[in-house]
Amino acid sequence: MAKRHVIVGGGTAGLNAILTIREYDHDESEITLVSAERPYSRMVLPYYLGRSIAESHVFTLTPPRLAELQVKTHLGRRAAALHTGANRLTLDDGTALEYDDLLIATGSSPVRAPVPGADLSGVHSFWTLEQARGVVSQIREGAHVVMVGAGFIAFTILNAILGLKARLTVVEIAPQILPRMLDRPGAELVERWLTHHGVTIRTGAALTGIEEDAGKKHLRFRDGESLVADLVIMATGIRTNLEWLKDSGVRVNRGVLVDDHLRSSVPNVFAAGDVAESRDLVTGQPALHAIEPTAMEHGRVVGANMAGENVTYRGSLLMNIVEVCHLDIASFGSWDDTTADAFAAVQPERWAYRKLLWRGNRLTGAMILGKADDIWTTNDVGMLKGLVQSGSDLGKWKEHLRRNPFDIKPAFIASGTTARLLPETILGRPSVPA
Amino acid sequence: MKVLQITPERCTGCMRCELACSYVQTGAFQPARSVIRVSPFEGHTSYAPFTCTQCAEGWCMTACPVEAITISPVGAKVVQNDQCVGCKLCTIACPYGTMFYNPETQKAFKCNLCGGTPACATACPTAAIEYVETETADWLGGFAAERSPRHLERQVAMAEAR
Repeated sequence: MAKRHVIVGGGTAGLNAILTIREYDHDESEITLVSAERPYSRMVLPYYLGRSIAESHVFTLTPPRLAELQVKTHLGRRAAALHTGANRLTLDDGTALEYDDLLIATGSSPVRAPVPGADLSGVHSFWTLEQARGVVSQIREGAHVVMVGAGFIAFTILNAILGLKARLTVVEIAPQILPRMLDRPGAELVERWLTHHGVTIRTGAALTGIEEDAGKKHLRFRDGESLVADLVIMATGIRTNLEWLKDSGVRVNRGVLVDDHLRSSVPNVFAAGDVAESRDLVTGQPALHAIEPTAMEHGRVVGANMAGENVTYRGSLLMNIVEVCHLDIASFGSWDDTTADAFAAVQPERWAYRKLLWRGNRLTGAMILGKADDIWTTNDVGMLKGLVQSGSDLGKWKEHLRRNPFDIKPAFIASGTTARLLPETILGRPSVPA
Repeated sequence: MKVLQITPERCTGCMRCELACSYVQTGAFQPARSVIRVSPFEGHTSYAPFTCTQCAEGWCMTACPVEAITISPVGAKVVQNDQCVGCKLCTIACPYGTMFYNPETQKAFKCNLCGGTPACATACPTAAIEYVETETADWLGGFAAERSPRHLERQVAMAEAR
């Protein structure tokens, strides 16, 4: 009998697992996808909001593609309970699916600030396609949009909102913007940049409630201040979708604990993406990295292992990049490690900032800001990633970089980092296009 | 497959590769849009061009959330402009710094081996860049390591003198 794979979740991790299984097994196994939504790429929703792509561009596993890949589907359905002893998954409509192995890739959901009025109509999250449609249908030129939360997700849609000629105020409870991506000096540079581009920023602003009056939203803050908005978007964090694993026997910490093959505590149950707590490439410790590249890598490694290969996951490198008004903002690895040796430098006239964090002569974290039209920025973004990923011994270059943290390229080239990186692949073989 | 083999010792720093690359890729002579980039070493006493190796993983390709990067018949990882949304994930996924972004088109761009006749190799007057059947390699690492120490030591000495 053909091996039966069940994939729970149609996001990046699930998509990559399916594609990878099919790369190996040439349609020999049975794949069933359970997904609450039609599969699409969350990463590109900001471009749909900004009208630079059509809604149809966001879909990944379309019906013809699913047919071509010979994937059976339960779309619009959620996993309700996992019975690992019986190798059976129950869906919210009562359907029972038996499996030989199963992938948990149910991702995350947005969390709203716990204040009165957070669930008013006209207060939006921007996480799912349905929520994106909600914002797309409501946003108007000249409208005042208040973004509650100044994290990565909020920042991915700033350009789209400004491009639609809405007025934008960003409020953040923390004392700085992008608190999980940047240190204070970096955040201050970005705040100046955004202010310069007409965005109002209020940090240290604790929202206490939202009220509706004559079609406007009135936001109240702890310090007595208030704001009037036409549209409120809450980007106040996410939580992993793991409730359905209660009583399943799968060990869960902050996420599903997985080994270096991304198997959970139940050997024929894997986890990938936002829900999987896997090895951090830099620290070697278990970590939850709710980022697109990790979901992709997890999905591919699990797909290979489900197809009977023996692929070890080398670890997840934390990384984020976002561009606002043509300023690139990126950070890698242990960028917030307060115990690391750190050098930083700013060139205010070029809106450029670099921070390099070290353990011995190896780069363990990095932060970079720079204008997107400055070729220097994109060049250094990639090379910093390569230095952290490869863990190259930079020897004498460390002292050079202490004096000039902007001179990344010669250090990258002369340290032989290219030679260290060239043999590296996620699956232990050259990749093929999807 | 055929790859761009770089022999850095032959590079004179004339920048013809950057001009040719940008002209073929964008229709204008604009080195800032070249995907092969000549770097100075030893305080601008020697030079070498650095570009995409078309690596086995294809970090840019696997990272793309909309499958906008594919492999061309000559084995180059190429950006499909109609699919690329400009999210820049590929620019952080590529660990070599050879994935670029064009703010004018709002698309990622990279070396596509000019469809099999790379303009940089054709333009190079000293055969520092050749398009040949071989395994790709770290063409510049040894060259740069050998030429850097004196420069580094001089810089450190200068910094200490100040």
